Amino acid sequence: MADKKKVVISRPALVLGGLALVLIVLAIIFFTGGTGEKVKHFLDANVPKSPESGGGEAAPKTVTLFFLADGDDLLHKETRDIAAGPTEAEEAERALAELIKGSEKGFVSPLPPQTKVRQVFIGSDGLATVDLSREVAEGFAYGSTAELAAVYAVVDTLVFNFRPVKRVVILVEGVEKETLGGHVDLTRAFLPDYSLVAR
Amino acid sequence: MKTRSIIRTASTAALAAVLLASFAPAGARAGQTTGQVPRIQTVVIDPGHGGLEAGAKGKFGNLEKDITLAVSLKLKTLIERNMGLAVFLTRDRDVDVSNENRASIANNHKAGLFISIHANGAVQRKAAGSETFFLSVNATDEETRRLAYLENNSSELQTRIDPSSADDLMMILWDMAQTAYIKQSSRLAELVQAELDAMLGTRNRGIKQAPFKVLTGVACPAILVEAAFISNPDEEQKLASDAFQSRVAEAIYRGLVRFIRGTE
Repeated sequence: MADKKKVVISRPALVLGGLALVLIVLAIIFFTGGTGEKVKHFLDANVPKSPESGGGEAAPKTVTLFFLADGDDLLHKETRDIAAGPTEAEEAERALAELIKGSEKGFVSPLPPQTKVRQVFIGSDGLATVDLSREVAEGFAYGSTAELAAVYAVVDTLVFNFRPVKRVVILVEGVEKETLGGHVDLTRAFLPDYSLVAR
Repeated sequence: MKTRSIIRTASTAALAAVLLASFAPAGARAGQTTGQVPRIQTVVIDPGHGGLEAGAKGKFGNLEKDITLAVSLKLKTLIERNMGLAVFLTRDRDVDVSNENRASIANNHKAGLFISIHANGAVQRKAAGSETFFLSVNATDEETRRLAYLENNSSELQTRIDPSSADDLMMILWDMAQTAYIKQSSRLAELVQAELDAMLGTRNRGIKQAPFKVLTGVACPAILVEAAFISNPDEEQKLASDAFQSRVAEAIYRGLVRFIRGTE
C-alpha cells in the first residue's frame, strides 16, 4: 500500500530518470565505434538495391519471362520492364504478375490468367517461397506437360532474374499443396530447369 | 506460416541426413550395381487420377482418369494371362486415391515394377506424341551425397525400413525411396518407350525425367507413361478408342517383358 503511494508521487521523477537513461544509451551508441558500424550496416541492408543499372527508385528493371509457343513444347524468353524496388521480393512479385498476365509477342502464358501472386518471400538461404492464389491449381485441367511448364515457368523466372534466389517452393493460398494437378511434386524445393527453355 | 514451412523443410532434411549417416555402409549390395533386378513377382499398375480428380480433359469431353483406367485394366489382363505375375491396381474404379497411397499400395504388395498410366495435356492444342517419364529429384548439393548413398544401397532401404512404421523419420526415407531405383527405372522407361514408338504411330517424345509425386515413394523400378495428348483433338479421339487403348497396353506389356527378361 505504502509502495503504491510512493510510485504515484515519484512519477515525474521517473519520467526524468527515463529520459536520462535514453540519453545515456544514445550517447553510448554515438561514441562506440563498433555499435555505430552495426547500425549503419543494418540500415544499408534495408536500402533497395539496384544491381544492374544503379539508377534511382523510378528506373525500371528489365526481367526475362518464360512463355510457351504454339509450335513447340519449349519455354521462350521474353523481356519486360517492371518497376524496380524497393525489395527484390517485391520485384519478383511483379515479374510473376507479368508472367501470368501473358506475352506481348504472341506467346502463351503457362499459368491460368486468373492466378494472383499473393506473396514472394526470399530467404537468406536462397530459397524463394512463392504463394499463389487457388486459381493456379483450379484454372487449368493440367496434363503432365502443362503442369511442368507452369511450375518451371515460375521457377525459372525467379532464379533467372533474381540473383539471391537459388531454389523455389510454391505454396497455394498460403499452404503447401502436394501438386497443382496431380503430377508435379510441390512439396520439395525446385531447382531451375533450363532444359525446357528454347535456345 | 512460411517460416514454419521453411523450418519444416530444413528440419526434414536434417533429420533424414542424420538417419542416413547412421546407416552402416557394410552389408550386401543390391543388384543395382550389377544391373540385375531381384526376381519380379508382382506388378502394380497405377491408373492416373480418379474420382473428383479427373486429370486433363479433352475438347470432346473425354477425361484422363477414364482413359487411364481403361488402359490399366487391359494391361492387367495381358500380364496376368501371359506372364503369370500377380498384378494389383491402385484403383479399379472411379475413385480418388492420394499419390502417397498409390506408392503405399505398391510397397505393401512388394511390387517389383510400378507403372503409372496417364494421358498428357498441354496448353497448346498442337502438342502431340507419347513419352515415358522416370523420376528426377531436385537434389541440392547437400542432398546429392545422400541420394548417391541411397542409390548404391537400395538393399538396405528394403531390408532396414519397415513400411508399416509410423515413425516420421521412416516416412521421410520412404518418401525418397525411388531415388534408389533411378537407373533401373530409366532402363524400364527406355524399353517401354521403344515399344510405344513401334506400336502407336504417334510422335516419339522420348524418355524424360520429372519430379512426379506419384513416383517418389515407390520402392521398385517405376515409370509414368503418357500415352498421347488428350488436349490434342486428334489424339483425344485415338485415346478414347478401344483399339488404341489396347495398343498402348500391348506396347507397355512388351516393354515390361523385355525389361524382365533383361534382353535388349
